[in-house]
Amino acid sequence: MKKMCVLALIAVLLLPTLLFAQGAKETVDENAPVTVQYWTHEDPARTSLETELIAQFMADNPNITVVRTTQSSSKQIELVQTAFAANQGPDMFNLPIENQYAYITNYRVAPVDYKAAGYASKQDLLDKYVDGVLDTVTFEGEVYGLPLELTNWCIYLNKNVFRDAGLDPEKDYPKTWEEMADISEKLAIRDGDILIRRGFDFRYPYYLTFFVPMVEQLGGDLISSDGKQAIVGDDAWIKALTFMQEWGPSGRNLGSPTYKNARKLFDMDNNDMAMAHSGLYQEGRIAEDNPAFFESKEWMVIPFPVFENAVRDVAANYYGHFFMVNADSDPAVQKAAWKLAGFLLSHGVDYLTRGGNLIQPTKALFASDTLKNMPYSDVFINDMARAHMIYYGQNSAEIQTQLRYAVESVMLSGVSPEKALATLRSAVQEIIDEQ
Amino acid sequence: MARREYRGIEKKQARWGFAFVIPSMLFFSLFSFYPIINAFYTSFFDKRALSKAPPKFLGLGNYIRLFDPARAASELSFLNSLRATLVFTLGTFIPLLILSLLVAVFISNLGNNKAKKFFQIAYYSPAILSSVVAATIWMIIFDPRGLGNQWVNFLMHTPGIDHKWLVDPVMEQVSTMVIYFWKYIGYFVILFITGLATIPPTLYEAATIDGANKNQTFWRITLPLLKPTVVLVSVMAMLQCLKTFSTQYMLYTNGAPRAPINVITFNIYVTGIQQQYLGRASAMSVVLFVLMLVLTLLQFKTTNSEQTEY
Repeated sequence: MKKMCVLALIAVLLLPTLLFAQGAKETVDENAPVTVQYWTHEDPARTSLETELIAQFMADNPNITVVRTTQSSSKQIELVQTAFAANQGPDMFNLPIENQYAYITNYRVAPVDYKAAGYASKQDLLDKYVDGVLDTVTFEGEVYGLPLELTNWCIYLNKNVFRDAGLDPEKDYPKTWEEMADISEKLAIRDGDILIRRGFDFRYPYYLTFFVPMVEQLGGDLISSDGKQAIVGDDAWIKALTFMQEWGPSGRNLGSPTYKNARKLFDMDNNDMAMAHSGLYQEGRIAEDNPAFFESKEWMVIPFPVFENAVRDVAANYYGHFFMVNADSDPAVQKAAWKLAGFLLSHGVDYLTRGGNLIQPTKALFASDTLKNMPYSDVFINDMARAHMIYYGQNSAEIQTQLRYAVESVMLSGVSPEKALATLRSAVQEIIDEQ
Repeated sequence: MARREYRGIEKKQARWGFAFVIPSMLFFSLFSFYPIINAFYTSFFDKRALSKAPPKFLGLGNYIRLFDPARAASELSFLNSLRATLVFTLGTFIPLLILSLLVAVFISNLGNNKAKKFFQIAYYSPAILSSVVAATIWMIIFDPRGLGNQWVNFLMHTPGIDHKWLVDPVMEQVSTMVIYFWKYIGYFVILFITGLATIPPTLYEAATIDGANKNQTFWRITLPLLKPTVVLVSVMAMLQCLKTFSTQYMLYTNGAPRAPINVITFNIYVTGIQQQYLGRASAMSVVLFVLMLVLTLLQFKTTNSEQTEY
């Protein structure tokens, strides 16, 4: 009896290992109505627009049901990955390209179904988008994603705060990083060591977006052009890290990652943030959070600064969110998902005007008066012209983690730029060697 | 003959017992046993979260990497995570154990029932708060312009000093301990109060008649009779501390540096979820499992309490 009980117990304990040893597989009945699970990040303005568009899409396609699920942008990255690791990924999703590229190289997403998405052919699709934009999602000759948005960041400036500090915003705005530090010093209000008002602060921890371009301005690179060597141009890296060290609490004490997010403070216009780093979409958020400030026109947008001795004129990197479709979804679901993506993206002007001020990089939108008439859109477009796509690779998210560690160790933990650079080099080299 | 009958009853009872145990065994095997076996198995492979290719067998490769002395210098290494975990566990578990016992004794000795209930709810409420709410509260406190600096500077007459709650490596570790202590002390206080309630009041009455004062009553009656609860709470608190994650995650996502608070669970999260190395993360979780098992056994052995009889 005892033996029987023990054997039965072992059998019960091992049951799940037999059940899940191969991973659960979902089968889709092709004759059943098609349901597309669409996962995306939270954005109230876009949610409102997409809810309306999806209702219209479902009315036009009665056999397709779309289930739209939103999460905060940081949680979305983890949830999508965990779901894919368990073979339970959504049918359609979007992420920042630096997190999304690995889905392409690991064959987890399907190539674009041009016909279903509303294009005559691959060439027709390429012709409709700004040159080079789709290179990012082109792999082994196929295009794997359609851009929901292409975003770059410039500097938002509060004119009131500038005037309050005796500065003329139109003339005195910072053009170089050295000026940015000096002007931030003038704008800062402190209670002892504590910053009550900051001039500017960076957008931590998106170091691939803003810090790598700063290094590139000084002649450095994250990865060599052949993709084999990590950290090129030590002098540039040391200078950029030293700048960040000076910026932090142990240096000139102009800002720190532990203070409240600069762009959120900026929107409120509470005389505690003079400049913040963000994209065109921030205009919609200011209008939403603080309509009076938005309408007052007491804000403006200025280009991403460069170092005084810059050897390259590089603005903040732009990044994209792409609609991608799960390669493991039923073919009928994949087709429906591409149809949905194509339908949503055919409303580029709506996304720009009432869907969160998102720029979809189609030639038509870039040539449109709607984009040109958006406040300060010229600043964003000009900066985009002197920028390039953020570093994306199979492990770009991990590289960003290492960059964060390097920058914050010099800013907050008293590590020397030389030591931080050595640690960063060995970590990034290991990542690209393992890739 | 008699022997056969006895076995029959035993069989019948066992069958029923087995039927009652099966649902919980199924639940345990599905949500605990299977993940443990799976993590152990995965720890021998180079398994990446998104890769569809069959994972490469590494043998003990992942474990060798974790304990590689050449990597020890890196502040983000697994060996540093071991250090951070042990520092956090010692710094949190001992004060948690002692102070929750003292608070429980204080609450139990209150004469007023309303006051008793108020204190029980007040201490327990942080334990049921969601991590998001807890994060919001503590970020308001630890922001350089926040309440933490304001209170400390007011009390110490040091205006304008930034105590760098989330910046200085030592302060950052202390901050995680304070948050954890705040969140879980109520839970352990309730456990101690339950333990104290099982001590027969006649023993205290006898001690009072014999002329024992409160101090003597505590050391000679309360503490010895509470030993099983102390062992239970100490094991639970230690395991909870070794598994700490959300506090460190919360501080990191709000801009605090990772190295000082890179406890094992947080390293598992970064390695497995952010960096996608599931095999490596599984090896870390197996090491944590072994560590917890060894420390628990050690604790049971060193505090081996004889059965309390009244």
